Amino acid sequence: MNWVGLNTLIKREVGRFFAVYRQTVLPGLITTALYIAIFGFTLEQRISEIQGIPYTMFILPGLIMMNTLTNATSNTASSMLQMKLLQQLPDLLTAPLSGLEIALAYIIGGAVRGMVNGILVLLLGVFLIGMPVNNLFGTLMFIFLVSWAFSSMGLLLGQLAESWDQLAMMQNFFLTPLSFLGGIFYSIKMLPNWAQTLSYINPIYYMINGIRYTVLGVSDSEVEISILMAIVLTIGFTLASILLMQSGKKIKN
Amino acid sequence: MGTPAIDIKGLTKSYGKLKALNGVNISIKKGEFFGLLGPNGAGKTTTINILTGLVFKESGSAKVFGKDTIKDFRYTRSKIGIAAQEFSVDWFFPIEKLLFFQAGYYGIKPKDAKPLVDSLLNRLGLSSKRNSRLRQLSGGMKRRFQIAKALVHDPEILILDEPTAGVDVELRRDLWKYLQDLHSRGKTILLTTHYIEEAELLCENVAIIDNGKILKMGAPKELTRELGEAGITVVLENLNGLNKKDLENYKYTSDKNRLHFSVKDPDEELPKIIRVLSNAGLHIQKIESNKSSLEDVFLNLTGKGINE
Repeated sequence: MNWVGLNTLIKREVGRFFAVYRQTVLPGLITTALYIAIFGFTLEQRISEIQGIPYTMFILPGLIMMNTLTNATSNTASSMLQMKLLQQLPDLLTAPLSGLEIALAYIIGGAVRGMVNGILVLLLGVFLIGMPVNNLFGTLMFIFLVSWAFSSMGLLLGQLAESWDQLAMMQNFFLTPLSFLGGIFYSIKMLPNWAQTLSYINPIYYMINGIRYTVLGVSDSEVEISILMAIVLTIGFTLASILLMQSGKKIKN
Repeated sequence: MGTPAIDIKGLTKSYGKLKALNGVNISIKKGEFFGLLGPNGAGKTTTINILTGLVFKESGSAKVFGKDTIKDFRYTRSKIGIAAQEFSVDWFFPIEKLLFFQAGYYGIKPKDAKPLVDSLLNRLGLSSKRNSRLRQLSGGMKRRFQIAKALVHDPEILILDEPTAGVDVELRRDLWKYLQDLHSRGKTILLTTHYIEEAELLCENVAIIDNGKILKMGAPKELTRELGEAGITVVLENLNGLNKKDLENYKYTSDKNRLHFSVKDPDEELPKIIRVLSNAGLHIQKIESNKSSLEDVFLNLTGKGINE
C-alpha cells in the first residue's frame, strides 16, 4: 500500500472542496436555513404535527440526509469527471498508485464532504429550532454510512460519465426525485397504498427514516432495515467503484 | 551490458480497425538519450502510454529495468517521470502545492520533497510564480511546469512527449540545454518528437517510427551516413585546368563553372573536395552544402517528409 500517496490524494480531494466552500458547503446550509424560516414562520401554523413532531423538526432529518448524500455524490462525481476532462487523471494513473488507493482516496474525500455538510445541517437544526438528538452516535453513524455509500456511487458515475450533461441528468432525474420521494417532507403513511409500496423500493426512503429515528425517535421503516440497507449500499457501491477503478474502464485505453 | 532501462518487445495495439502499434521493439540503455522520431499519429504517444500504464497493450512486453510495467507497476512507475504533451489544468491549487501533491503520489512526504521542489522551481524559472494557479501561467511556463512535475520524484528515467511542441525558439533552446544537463547527470531520457533538429542535436540514438512500426534505429549520424544523401555545390571562377581524374572517386555533375557533388557525409568530404580543387589550381568563389539530415533518412525510409 502506498500510504503517503493515498494520504496525499485524500488531502487533495478534501482541500479541493474546502477551497470552494461557497459552492460546496454554504449552499446546503443556506437552503436548510430557508426551509426552517419558511416552514417555521409560515406553513407550520397550517400543517398539523406528524407523528407528534412539529413539521419543521420532522423534515430536518430528511434535509440532513439529502444534503449529506447529494454533497457526497457530487464531490466524487464532479472531481473525477473534472480530472478526466482537464487532463489531470494521467498524473494519478502514471503514478505508483493502485486502483484501490485511487478509489479509496476519492471515496474518503467525498465522504468527508458529505459528513461536513450533514453535521453542519444537524447543528443548524439543534441551534435554530432546538432539535433534540435522541441518539447522537447512531445519527453520526448514519451520516457516515450514507456519506461513504453515496460518495462511492458518485465515483462510479464520475468514471462512467463523459460530460457534465450526463452527470446533471443523473442528479436531476434520479437522485433529487428519489430524495424528495423518500419522505423528506412527509410520512409515507400519508400516501395512498400504491405509492407506499413504491417507496419501499427507494433506498433513500430507508436512509431518511433511519436518521429520522436516530434524531427524533420516529420512523416509517423498521430501524434495523434502515441500518441494514445503509450497510448493504455502502458495501455494494464501495466494491463496485473499486472494481471499476481497477478495471480502468473509460479512463484508460 | 546491464539491464536496459527500457525494454519493449513486440508491442501491438489497435484502436478498432486502426493498428496503432504493429510489433514495436525498442531497447534503451541506462543513461542514454533516446529519441522516438516520427510524424503525428505514428505511434509515439501510444508507445510511451503503454510504458507508463495509461494504455493497455494488446500483446508484447514492456519492461523498465527488467521489471514488467503491469506486474511490477509500483516499481516501474516510480522510476519514470513523464511530461505529457497535453497540459493539465488545475483550478484549485497553486503550482508549488501541485508539485508537492505530485511528489506525494510517488510516496514522498512534503518535507522530503521540499529541497527538490525549490530547486526545480528555481532552475525552471518558476520561483516567482510558485503561488500562482496554472491558468495564470504563460504557455512556456506551463511547459516548464510539466517538466518540473515529471522530475519532482527524482526519477531515473525522464519521458518527454513532444516537449517543445508549440514553444518559441528561445525556450526551446533553453529546454534543450536543460535536458542535456540532466542527461550529463546520468538521467535516461526518452523523447518523442517530430522535430528533426531536436533529435539530431540531443539524441544518442533514435528510432524512426511510422504507422506503428520502427523502421530504423541507430545513432543519428550513422543513420544519415547510411541512408542520407547530401549535396555540395562549388562555384569556381572557371573549370580550366580541371583534371577529371582528380574527381574520379566522386559522384558529381558539372555545369559551366559549377560542380555539384552528391556525398554521404558532407562534413567529411567537403575538406577533401576543397583540397583536390585547390591543388588543381582552381579558384573557389562559393560553396554551398545541403547537409544530410534525419529528414533525408526519413524521406528515404518512408518516401515522405516527416511533417507531411
